Amino acid sequence: MKPGLAYCLGWLLALAAMAAGTAGEPETRYLREVKPLLTRHCVSCHGAEHPKAHLRLDTAAGARKGGESGPAVRPGKPAESLLVQALEGSHSDIERMPYHRPPLHPPEIETLRRWIADGVAAPTQEVPGVFVHWSFIPPQRPPTPRTAATHHPIDAFIRDTLQRLRVRPSAPADSATWLRRVHLDLIGLPPQPEVAARFVTTDSPTERDRILEHLLASPHHGERWGRWWLDVARYADSNGYSVDAPRSIWPYRDGVVAAFNADQPFDQFLIEQLAGDLLPQATVAQRAATGFHRNTQINQEGGIDPEQFRIESIFDRVATTGSALLGLSVGCAQCHDHKFDPISHRDYYGLFAFFNNQDEPTLEIEGLPSGISEPKAKSPGWATTLVLSERTQPRETQRFIQGDFTRPAEPVLPATPKVLPPLPPKNGRYQRLDLARWLVSPNHPLTARVLVNRVWQQYFGRGLVETENDFGTQGTPPTHPELLDWLAVEFQESGWSLKHLHRCIVKSETYGQSSIARPDLREIDPLNRWLARQNRLRLDAEIIRDVALAASGQLDRSLGGSPVQPPQPAGLGAFTQSNRDWMASSGGQRVRRALYTRIQRATLHPALAVFDAPDTFTTCTRRLRSNTPLQALTLLNDTQFHELALHIARQMASTQGTDADRIAGGFLRCTARHPAPAESQRLLRLLREERSAGGSNGAPPEGGWLAVARVLLNLDETITRE
Amino acid sequence: MDNHPLPQSLQDLTRRHFFGRCAMGLGNLALASMLAEGQTGPTSGSTSGPTSAPAAAESLKTPATHHPARAKSIIYLFMAGGPSQLELFDAKPRLNQLSGQPIPNSFLEGKRFAFMDSSFKNKSTLLGSKRTFRQFGQSGASVSDLLPYTAGIVDDIALVKSCATNLFNHAPAKLFMNTGSGQFGRPSMGSWVTYGIGSESRDLPGFVVLQSGPRGPRGGAVNWSSGFLPTSHQGVPLRGSGDPILNLSRPPGISAQSQRRTLDALGDLNLRRASETGDPEIATRIASYEMAYRMQSSAPELTDLQGETDATLALYGCTRDTPSFARNCLLARRLVERGVRFVQLYHTNWDSHGGPGETLENDLAKVAHQVDQGCAALIKDLKSRGLLEDVLVVWGGEFGRTPMGETREKTGRNHHIDAFTMWFAGAGIRAGQVLGETDELGFNPVVDRAHVHDIHATLLHLLGLDHQRLTFRFQGRDFRLTDIHGQLLHKLLA
Repeated sequence: MKPGLAYCLGWLLALAAMAAGTAGEPETRYLREVKPLLTRHCVSCHGAEHPKAHLRLDTAAGARKGGESGPAVRPGKPAESLLVQALEGSHSDIERMPYHRPPLHPPEIETLRRWIADGVAAPTQEVPGVFVHWSFIPPQRPPTPRTAATHHPIDAFIRDTLQRLRVRPSAPADSATWLRRVHLDLIGLPPQPEVAARFVTTDSPTERDRILEHLLASPHHGERWGRWWLDVARYADSNGYSVDAPRSIWPYRDGVVAAFNADQPFDQFLIEQLAGDLLPQATVAQRAATGFHRNTQINQEGGIDPEQFRIESIFDRVATTGSALLGLSVGCAQCHDHKFDPISHRDYYGLFAFFNNQDEPTLEIEGLPSGISEPKAKSPGWATTLVLSERTQPRETQRFIQGDFTRPAEPVLPATPKVLPPLPPKNGRYQRLDLARWLVSPNHPLTARVLVNRVWQQYFGRGLVETENDFGTQGTPPTHPELLDWLAVEFQESGWSLKHLHRCIVKSETYGQSSIARPDLREIDPLNRWLARQNRLRLDAEIIRDVALAASGQLDRSLGGSPVQPPQPAGLGAFTQSNRDWMASSGGQRVRRALYTRIQRATLHPALAVFDAPDTFTTCTRRLRSNTPLQALTLLNDTQFHELALHIARQMASTQGTDADRIAGGFLRCTARHPAPAESQRLLRLLREERSAGGSNGAPPEGGWLAVARVLLNLDETITRE
Repeated sequence: MDNHPLPQSLQDLTRRHFFGRCAMGLGNLALASMLAEGQTGPTSGSTSGPTSAPAAAESLKTPATHHPARAKSIIYLFMAGGPSQLELFDAKPRLNQLSGQPIPNSFLEGKRFAFMDSSFKNKSTLLGSKRTFRQFGQSGASVSDLLPYTAGIVDDIALVKSCATNLFNHAPAKLFMNTGSGQFGRPSMGSWVTYGIGSESRDLPGFVVLQSGPRGPRGGAVNWSSGFLPTSHQGVPLRGSGDPILNLSRPPGISAQSQRRTLDALGDLNLRRASETGDPEIATRIASYEMAYRMQSSAPELTDLQGETDATLALYGCTRDTPSFARNCLLARRLVERGVRFVQLYHTNWDSHGGPGETLENDLAKVAHQVDQGCAALIKDLKSRGLLEDVLVVWGGEFGRTPMGETREKTGRNHHIDAFTMWFAGAGIRAGQVLGETDELGFNPVVDRAHVHDIHATLLHLLGLDHQRLTFRFQGRDFRLTDIHGQLLHKLLA
């Protein structure tokens, strides 16, 4: 049988198995919970063809019959069953299974144990399971577990697993922590100090709902989540490669922010990102959205072959589309058949062909209509941005042997990978618009899952699928497969509303619980995969800057416009080819949100780079969270942060009240909570020390307050979402 | 001797709390163990960590190696992009004779080559090298005309021509060379080493990364990530252009005393938060601030090359101020002199496919020229200062290049994982030898194959670490740099 046919067939069988499932009966529980596990983890070796150790696990009967070592299951006796022993690695002779692959998660083993304990129920006429990788089967909405006492489906799924692990969830985070958490997560800015001061006394479910709705409606929400998308879009304000000349594509960035603020249905958003120019009567905003795939680098060196770099940019578009939307490393198939996933070398060039038929013009935007950018008084009334436009005469695409454009092979037409659902029939040639619509079609198994997983990753620090850009066979399987599918279907059925998804997640108790480490979890779940608590997450590079700006009261909250240049250490461009000076902006432009800081690819702003901002050369679907002395040097000594510390100091110095009151005010600005007495006393001690030291050498007006402000700005808590 | 710069600062802080210097009571003994958790010790690593504070404090002082170490530190010269061994070290007269011919079937049967599909087999032909090779030194090692300086140190290095790896795309192959795995999330070798035996430098990070060349290595920071080890073990990258470290000077008007008082208060408050939240990341952050404080004086001293003689600069072929690979080599010597445990230099771009900027004719010569003098100078300089007895130097890329040619704009070679050349020098290495041999066309090793896992095992061995015992429990499994593989390369050892 050809591999492709096997996949299609397996897919149908898996669908049939799923359709057969109705909750309750032991047989249907087997089909719904147990068989998918066996099929996913075991059947590739213990299936119909050459079963290892003559053991077949593609039916329950096969498991009962067993192989060379005897029956794999002993009904009613899970601990004595070879299957359980092999999966737990507790058998003296059999290696831990799956062979040389990651072990099953404890809740999965628990599911198998329960099935065995209950007597190995299965339908009498069972169709053997065929291995189909889970992510190629479209998600179905699974039933919400009823065991956990909760009304929120997310909590039901999470707690169902926790119950199997005999672990209780954590208590809710305290009011101040919750308030700062939702602010940072939904708008990327801390709560205003007066809001934070009031909330601890007014906290209630209705007040929380009001705040959530307020944040979701805030124009800063689009700035925060727009940046999430710009990571994927490898957005930058320069051309990259060695010349790295500035480019104007910021209207694309503002369009993304506007779309997120408007909660544009995300399927429509994606269609416009990939093919807005091909929509009937495309608007300026729709055409500007195609800047998504204009964020590739442009090489302006002399003597280069432009065709080579045109091809390079298409390779990048294919790889970006693959990692960001399909969650598959399709880039591997540029040179050869994918070694692990069913993506062929030819499939790759089928995708390539969609992106090989455009011109790359510059769009002049006059009047900056809303939906692109909110016009600012000082902005000029027009701008240019980079877009795609489809050629009327299609280019012929050929497969490149080894990915080498000088070695073309047979012609290839636009096509999607065989392992995924087919494109709808069409007369004539498929275009980018067909690809875009296909990606968001209801039966597509990947796009919605990949997206909800990356949203989840923002809230918890790790996706349900940890390898957020690889849902293929080399990726890690989901920790909560049912929850992932539930979220994907919920997202699709809500009309691809991201705000609905945000609301859904932040209203769960799983999201709202405390992030404080618990001794009882250290052994069971050191990495907090099962989410019996929240995670403390160091803030993203841009938000660290924004928090400091907000705390200092200096933040210029205006939206959109051309990039700005806050101060950076001198001479950074000195050793790049073009040696550009960085003229620091003045006035309000110096204190805009970091989203608007000019992204110069060859010399990324060091205060952003040091906190792991993406390098923008290729798509970024997950940021690292490093923790280095260089970050400490930046927050302590960098000009832009020091300027802000001075402002916080002056504010504290000029506030009415006792020194303790003033400290409490500064503390609230930075952490959105009041200091504990011991914390206040420690800062008072610092203030006293500074005052007595500074008395002799002409202390500045902010006196010892500057030191206090510097401590507050540098607190781990200030740069962390707790 | 102070083996643990990061935990030392934590010790200072915790001691201050324990002995009541701090106004704010703490009295949380569990915290000390949390701070020390996983920071040290080749035998005790896990995410759960030790339980008693005195024991933890004790372990900070006495990090034990598994056996006596031959090397104290490593300088790893990472040649990013995959240098062509066939143009540099592995002379193949037979390949030159057969240049332009199809690959003999005997080399294809049952073999697996990077990048090969059916069309490739039909069209690709062998490519001889245009470089001139000569034999040098007592060892008679052959080196091409691209590396005249390296030719002068062949008796101080061990060339290994039979290196092999598993992965043939740049980013995963670099990860594999650094972490023993092509997947994200595993610790790099530098992290394993500082985790295992700490560092001897209090004032500089134990694992430092230097970069040169037109761009950073592909994958960037994942190459020096600490993976699942505590983040205090990640590599600290110095900048490849301009000042190596920014923001070393205190802001205007801030005195050294004020900076210290500020950091003391910050440390106290962060420590309190660490005990409240139980988050080990705060311990790393506290340590980072203490390291940053010390780097304010140690790093300018490190990067100020005024004290280096003109003769030394001439040896390396660099100036005091202009960033270059050679200057990074000099900085690497200064780093190990100051007790830094693991220094990794990346130089791009060795990729030689034959496209623009990647030709075997001109571009390979250019990049070879960029590194040659610095590498040789480093060995000579270390030797003349008596440091080569304690410092292990490694030179190599993530893979090699194919004996077949690749034709783009000009001629190049593709990625080859089955046989490539690296060299090793210094502490514990039997220098002046050529280890391993490839077949007459350079496709495969015929003797003494040295797989990446074997190389990792050997490097750890020289540092006094048994690669099978340097483990960290993660996700219910004991992980190693060498996974479940790795054989010592005994012939490489002195």
